[in-house]
Amino acid sequence: MATISLQHIQKIYPIGETSKKQKAFLKKAKEDNPETNKVNLKITEEGVVAVDDFNLEVEDNEFIVFVGPSGCGKSTTLRMIAGLEDITRGDLYIDGVRMNDIEPKDRDIAMVFQNYALYPHMTVRQNLQFPLELRKVPKEQMDRQVDEAAEILGITEYLNRKPKALSGGQRQRVAIGRAIVREPRVLLMDEPLSNLDAKLRNQMRAEIIKLRQRIKSTFIYVTHDQTEAMTLGDRIVIMKDGLIQQIGTPQEVFDNPINTFVAGFIGMPQMNFYDGSLDKEGDRYVINVLGAKIYPSEEKQANLKKNDVKPMDIIVGARPEHITLKEVEGAMMEGSVDVSEMMGSSVHIHLNTGGHDSIIIVPTLDLGGQSLAIGSKVRFTFAPNVVHMFNKETGKNLEY
Amino acid sequence: MKDEKNKLSLRRRLVNLLVHLLLAVLAIIWILPIFWIVLTSFRAEPGAYTNTFLPQGYTLNNYIKLFTDRNVLNFPKMFVNTLIIAIVCCIASTFFILSVAYSLSRMRFKFRKAYMNMAMILGLFPGFMAMVAQYFILKAMGLTEGSMVRLGLIIVYSACTGLGFQIAKGFFDTIPRSIDEAAVMDGASQWVVFTRITMPLAKPIVIYTVMTSFIAPWVDFVFAKVLCRANADQFTVAIGLWNMLQKEYIYQWYTCFAAGAVVISIPIAALFLYMQRFYVEGMSGAVKG
Repeated sequence: MATISLQHIQKIYPIGETSKKQKAFLKKAKEDNPETNKVNLKITEEGVVAVDDFNLEVEDNEFIVFVGPSGCGKSTTLRMIAGLEDITRGDLYIDGVRMNDIEPKDRDIAMVFQNYALYPHMTVRQNLQFPLELRKVPKEQMDRQVDEAAEILGITEYLNRKPKALSGGQRQRVAIGRAIVREPRVLLMDEPLSNLDAKLRNQMRAEIIKLRQRIKSTFIYVTHDQTEAMTLGDRIVIMKDGLIQQIGTPQEVFDNPINTFVAGFIGMPQMNFYDGSLDKEGDRYVINVLGAKIYPSEEKQANLKKNDVKPMDIIVGARPEHITLKEVEGAMMEGSVDVSEMMGSSVHIHLNTGGHDSIIIVPTLDLGGQSLAIGSKVRFTFAPNVVHMFNKETGKNLEY
Repeated sequence: MKDEKNKLSLRRRLVNLLVHLLLAVLAIIWILPIFWIVLTSFRAEPGAYTNTFLPQGYTLNNYIKLFTDRNVLNFPKMFVNTLIIAIVCCIASTFFILSVAYSLSRMRFKFRKAYMNMAMILGLFPGFMAMVAQYFILKAMGLTEGSMVRLGLIIVYSACTGLGFQIAKGFFDTIPRSIDEAAVMDGASQWVVFTRITMPLAKPIVIYTVMTSFIAPWVDFVFAKVLCRANADQFTVAIGLWNMLQKEYIYQWYTCFAAGAVVISIPIAALFLYMQRFYVEGMSGAVKG
C-alpha cells in the first residue's frame, strides 16, 4: 500500500577509460542501424544513458507493468526503485518520502527475481522466515505469517523441503511467498515468469491476478512479454532505449498507440504496416494505400483536423483482427496467400501485398468455403474506425 | 545383431578390466610408501637400512622416544611450536583469503582489474625468491631472535596469503549475485549476507582454504630454516625431522623419524575429518540456470 512517484529519473552507466573501445563500438552500432530495434542508447560524456527522464506516478494499490524489448531500461528502473542501483539523477518518492539515499532494507519493498534467487541451504520455511527474522518479528507471529503466505501460494506441504527438491513452478511460488510474507508496501517483480514453460506461465499468471486481489500492495512488474503486460497491468509503461514511449491502460495502448513502436509491440500477431499517403478531398482526409482509398471515421477526421495535419506520406497501420474481407466499394486491396495457419476458431493468413508480408485474422465462419490455397488472391480492407496513421519521418501517431 | 551386442559388451568389459587394473597398480604405488613408513615407525631394529621389507620386530619405543628423549632433539617442543604457528596462520590466512576473494568477486572498485593482474604476475614467482629480503626485514623489526621467531614465521606465512584469492574468488563467482540481492531486499546488511548466505553456500571452499592454510605452515621447511637458523628452541617439526636424518643422528633416530612423519599427519587428518562434516550440497535449487 503505497504511492510511488518517479520524477525525471535518469540512470547513466559511466564509461571508464578502459572501455573506450566499448564506447566506440556503441557509437558505431548506433550509426550503422538507427532504424532497427537494436539497443540504441544515448551516449553522453558521462556514459551510457540507460534510463532517461522517467516520470511516473503510481497510485496506491495499482498494478503497473513495465514492458519493452531487452535492454530498454525496464529492469534498471525497477532496480532503482528497489535500491539495488543508484539513481544518477531525479527523485524517487514512496508515500511522499524521498527514497534516493535510503538503503534497500529500509524502503519496505520486496522483490521477486527472474531466477527465483532462493537460499539453497535453507528449507522453504527458513526461506520464508528469513525476511521476518531480520526484522526481529516474534516467533509466534512469524510462524503465523509464514503459514499464511504458504497457504495463499499452496506450498504448505513443501515447507520442510529444500529448494532443490522443488520444481520450477514451486520454486517461483516460494520466491513470491518470500516477498509477500512480510506484507511489503511495494512488491516488485522482475520477469518472474520468464523461466517457466508456457503452460506453467499461463497458470502462474492467473495466480498472480488472484494474489493481487488477496494482498494489498502496490505492484510493479517487469516483463518483455506483451501478453503478460496486457493481462496483468492496470496501466502499462512501454519503454524503448531508456525512454518511456507511452503510459496507459492496456485498452488505451492497444487502441491508440502513440507511435509505430508501441503499435508494433502491443498486440499479437503484430500490427501490419503499409506505406501510404494522406490526402485531403475538400474538407475530408483520405488515406491512399495499396491502390485503395480509405476514409477515416468521423472521430479520426476530427482528431486530424484538430492537429491541423497537412497531406503527407504516412505509414498506415492495421491490426490483423481489424482487417476484413467484406467488400467495400473502392477500398479493396489485394494480396496473394503465402501461408495460412488454421488456429481453430480463426485462420491467420499471411498475405503477400506488393512484396510486403501482412497478416490477417479471419474467423473460420466468415471464410464460407472460400479457397485459401497458396498463391490464391484475397481481397481485403481495413475498418475505417481502427486504422492508424503514423508520420513516416517520426513514426508518431498523427492523431496525437 | 545379438552377436554385435555381445561383442560390444565383451569389449566394454575388457576395457573396464584394463582400467581397473591400471587404477589398482596406481593405488598400490600411492599406498605403499605410506604403508611402509607406518611399518617403519613400529620397527624394533634401529638404522636406516634393513634387508627386509617387513620389520623383524615391532615396538612402540620409537614413539615413546620421540616424545620423551628431549636431550638431542626436542620433538614435543617443535610440535607445539608448529601447532601454534599453524593454527594462528590458518585462522589469519583463511580470513585474509576469503575477504580478499569475496570483495574481488562482489564489489566493483577502481584498480580491481589492475590488482588482480598484479596478483597474478606476483604469484608466478616462487615465494622463496624473497627469502633473503624477508629475513632482513624481519631482522630489522627484531623478529629473528628468541621467541619472536614464532611471530616472524606467522607473519611470513600469513601476510601474503591474500594474494592466493583466485580459487576462492572463482567459487564466489559461481554464487549468483541475485541471491545476495534477494537477501539485501529481505533486509540483510552486507555482513549478514556474508555470514548467513555466502559463507554457508561457500562451505566447500572455506574447508579447502582452512586445510591449505593449515598445511602450508605446518609442513614448510624453507622459511622455518631461514628464520630459525641454529635457534633450536624455535625449531618446527619440518626442521626437526630433517635433523633426524643428519649423519650424526640417523642411526639412532631413523625409526623415530618415521614415527614423527606419522605423528605430523595426524593433525591434518583430524582437521580433514572434522571439516568433512561441513561439506554440503552445492548451489542446486537456488536459481534457475
